[in-house]
Amino acid sequence: MRPLFLALLLSTSAFSQTENLGLFSNSGDVGAPARKGASEFSKGQYRVTGAGANIWGKQDQFQYIWREITGNFTVTATMRFLAQGADHRKAGIMVRQSLEADAPYADVVIHGNGMPGLQWRSKAGEDTNTFDLPFSGPGTFQIKLVRTGVKMYMYIGKEDSEPKEIAHTEVSFRNPVLVGLAVCSHNTDASDTVVFSNVSIEAQTPPAP
Amino acid sequence: MRLLLLSSLFAVSALGQTEKFGAFTNSGDVGSPPLKGSDDFDASTGKYNITGSGTDIWGKSDQFHYVWREMSGNFAVSATTQFLTEGVGHRKAVLMLRKNLDPDSPFLQLAIHGDGTPAVQFRSTKADNTNTVDFPVQGPGTWKLKLIRQGSTTTFWIGKGDSPLRELGHTINQLGSPVLVGLGVSSHTQAATNTVLFSDVAVDRLP
Repeated sequence: MRPLFLALLLSTSAFSQTENLGLFSNSGDVGAPARKGASEFSKGQYRVTGAGANIWGKQDQFQYIWREITGNFTVTATMRFLAQGADHRKAGIMVRQSLEADAPYADVVIHGNGMPGLQWRSKAGEDTNTFDLPFSGPGTFQIKLVRTGVKMYMYIGKEDSEPKEIAHTEVSFRNPVLVGLAVCSHNTDASDTVVFSNVSIEAQTPPAP
Repeated sequence: MRLLLLSSLFAVSALGQTEKFGAFTNSGDVGSPPLKGSDDFDASTGKYNITGSGTDIWGKSDQFHYVWREMSGNFAVSATTQFLTEGVGHRKAVLMLRKNLDPDSPFLQLAIHGDGTPAVQFRSTKADNTNTVDFPVQGPGTWKLKLIRQGSTTTFWIGKGDSPLRELGHTINQLGSPVLVGLGVSSHTQAATNTVLFSDVAVDRLP
């Protein structure tokens, strides 16, 4: 009984709702990484610090700043890593069914080495699927994720280039979903900080019947 | 049964060209589409006319016509494809890696749809749903397709018409070895067949 009670206490305290998080309502670590992450919103920018083994395989560890949303939407962000780290540290925009470590998700991410990826887990506890793009090195990226029904579109632009439609995949989520920004260091012994700016979330109104 | 028997007979043949199937060793329908497929290899031009029917290569199980060979390890496969018949927008011509000939077998493919949508699609485990990565539609035409399998990473290239091959990206899968490597055609409808011309077909082992 007591461990259960503690677990409940911890799982609520891990998610902060007290600060001003801009467009988002909550932040916290998913998958209980050994090093704690943090999210701050100031002067229109989000500084998100995350640790964790990876967002990959059957379960994830990362820092997430998110809100709940229903239906179709477009999320955009400009992002850059502030420091060096593992090549495959990753950050981006994530749609997620829940805060469970093995929850279904779809994300548009940039790896630390500059490789963009469209990644998704179709069902809870399944392996992550990935499609990684050719890349030319790290930098500042403009990223966009569009949800239209089951379709999840990835747009990428590097430096000043407008985000360009690259591809889409299909993932079935129940409404509502969580949408937000995710950072993972791909290393349980380190954290990485990513600055996200120009973040927007547009909910699309459904077409008239 | 017949396919199985043929498969074990041909599994020992190495990379040599066969009179009947060129770079491949076998052909047949997967998933028993009601309209039978067929294939014709012209050894003098190296061209394949492949006719296939079937609901799709999608969801939990597939129907299509397949021309294939068994391979292990790392390799490259490329072909130029052209639909010779009109049909459903999402009819498919594919370069496919497939675990076996079961309709619900794991697979990984580079597909060009009849409407000119390129896609990388895969079923990771038997009878699982198909995953897709669809690229922006560029319209119908002649398409060059290429894939390279290196361990668990497979990288894909496409080029429309005379455009040079462009790398789309790569994915990771656990198909392992051996796999069946080949060309497939599905009409995306049981009511019709579609014929695709595959030319400049190359299958090469890589270190």
